[in-house]
Amino acid sequence: MWLVRPAIPDDVHQILEIAGTAGSEAARLSSTLPRQRDALAERIAYAQASLAVKAGAADRPQRFLFVLENTATGKIHGTAGIDARAGNGQPFYNYRRDALIHASHELGISSRVEVLYPSHGLTDRTLLCSFSITPELRNTEAFELLSRARILFIASHRHWFTKQIVVEIQGVQLADGSVPFWDSLGRHFFNMDFDTADQYSGLLSKTFIAELMPPNPVYVTLLSEAAQAALGQPHELTVPNLELLQREGFQAGCYLDIFDGGPVLEARTDALHTLVTSQVKALHGATEEGGDDYLIAAGEGAGFRCALTQATGTLKGTLKVPVKTWDLLGKTAGDEVRVAPC
Amino acid sequence: MLVIRPLQETDLEDLYAMAQKAGKGLTTLPADRDLLRHKISLARDTFSQKCAPEAGLYLFALEDTKNGKAVGISGIQARVGLDEVFYNYRLSIAVNASKELGVHVRTPTLHLSNDMTDTSEICSLLLADEYHGGGNGLLLSRCRFLYLDEFRKHFSEKVFAEMRGVSDEQGRSPLWDALGSKFFDMEFSEADRLSGLGNKAFIAELMPKYPIYLPMLPDSARAVIGRVHSNTAPALRMLQAEGFNFNGLVDIFDGGPVVEAFVHTIRTVRDSINRYAKVTGKNVNLDVPASERVMVSNRSFRDFRVATVPATCVGVDTVSLPPEVAEALHVEPGDSVRLAPLKDRAKTTTAAG
Repeated sequence: MWLVRPAIPDDVHQILEIAGTAGSEAARLSSTLPRQRDALAERIAYAQASLAVKAGAADRPQRFLFVLENTATGKIHGTAGIDARAGNGQPFYNYRRDALIHASHELGISSRVEVLYPSHGLTDRTLLCSFSITPELRNTEAFELLSRARILFIASHRHWFTKQIVVEIQGVQLADGSVPFWDSLGRHFFNMDFDTADQYSGLLSKTFIAELMPPNPVYVTLLSEAAQAALGQPHELTVPNLELLQREGFQAGCYLDIFDGGPVLEARTDALHTLVTSQVKALHGATEEGGDDYLIAAGEGAGFRCALTQATGTLKGTLKVPVKTWDLLGKTAGDEVRVAPC
Repeated sequence: MLVIRPLQETDLEDLYAMAQKAGKGLTTLPADRDLLRHKISLARDTFSQKCAPEAGLYLFALEDTKNGKAVGISGIQARVGLDEVFYNYRLSIAVNASKELGVHVRTPTLHLSNDMTDTSEICSLLLADEYHGGGNGLLLSRCRFLYLDEFRKHFSEKVFAEMRGVSDEQGRSPLWDALGSKFFDMEFSEADRLSGLGNKAFIAELMPKYPIYLPMLPDSARAVIGRVHSNTAPALRMLQAEGFNFNGLVDIFDGGPVVEAFVHTIRTVRDSINRYAKVTGKNVNLDVPASERVMVSNRSFRDFRVATVPATCVGVDTVSLPPEVAEALHVEPGDSVRLAPLKDRAKTTTAAG
């Protein structure tokens, strides 16, 4: 069975393997997840510390990291993260795509000019991040579990998160690894290729962005045609992810990723589909298989677990769940679980 | 004989013919009768002091005295940016550096500026083809420096000239194609024509206001920023010889450079001297090379006239003018005149001993 649980230090090796074996094109680790062992270990330690925080006492912005585990083999097949505050205490960079009307009464001309404004507007919003999954699981129920488990986590720890939630979708990257938006804009200022910059942004403080990013707005019309075409467009491999998030209620607004021009999706946290449709139930045993498909989550902090299960609701507000699922969740009869229909 | 004098109404047809021949590229003098007529009347009002001298447009004609025709024109706009907004791009460098990453990137950037506002501009220089050579262009251009110096209080301390930027035979400007046209769906020649008709500020309103990062422009466009059209290269060299220098501003359409100088440092101004006019009965051969001639101005605000005489006419206190020159200059014996070398320095001073 598939299980989503918080990452632990022992997962480091397997997480790095996802990046290594699957190849950069197939399951390129999200830029917010470092590809270096030490940095990744630090990230996991940070996530564990974030889970241990007691009610509202976090001394630094919380960052969470979950893994998708095949419980039969113990193998990890994917990662998903949440940053409670985008930017993690530092500015969170985006471009805001906006328009100006350049008009001349005398000449009877009015034209719409699109401009990309550097923005920190999304700083401190809750951010879904660090999503990666092995290629064979794309478009499967495991894929959906990994992504939506985060929303059940948010539902169970709502006070840790903000009213607005955002997620950056990877932008267009061509088969040769080049990123049109980066090549037309960022490269001139950062003097490095996209992958290098992308890695730095996962690894280093974001100070380098402030230092190197052009501070003035950028006219869209001066970008290369390929870069203009890529604005707000998702990488084709992220389309299933994008669609899943759209079903959750995320919508593309006016924000773009500063490196690859990919879209930033926004939603109101309390309106997320999984959160709205989720319910807290008492766990009951089911002897026979069958019932509807549910996402089921239980536990707090480091004890958080989320899985897929078949279950049947009862009139008494309890949920009949197969016992093998109990074990996954580490729960027993009468314990509270949170479920959302698949 | 050729003499500089204020432009007048009767010059309209000559001016129109010249403007027509010049074609594209001379933004400030389009072949448009109404506009030219308007410019002439502005100049007339300026010389007759119907308008404030600081707001004036001083246009001079080069007249061939044998037929009274205007064969050249040059001008001074006492202040730019008074009524309309005067735009340039300032070419500057932004450095983005990260010690952490060892990155240090210089990004040339164009900033929209109005820095030349309230500055005097020398402009509108045009010489009929058949009069090119023999120092006529020098006279047409340099006579303005004598005027600027003579009436310095009406002009700014600094004067500038906008030099025509690079465009090809079809009138296409690489900078316009890469930048202006992206914001304003129009050919450069048309935008240029509209500018000449006084619509430059309107067009500028449609142009980008935020800085333009040059690395985002194609090489063809970047290569012409601050460069002059090959036809303008001689004019640029002439101004450089006078002490004008590129001041970091370029034209917002074609990227042509703005050159500037302080009036008191302009070579013609520094080398100019005053003499009393003496009308000589001796036969003077006026037909000597430009390098052996000096400009003689009558120092008049309303009826400014400049002609050239051989440097040998210059004496210690006086300058000997043949009667026809004195007449063309509207000068009487004993009048104070101002002299400056037409071409090389030192001619006046050596002749003057």
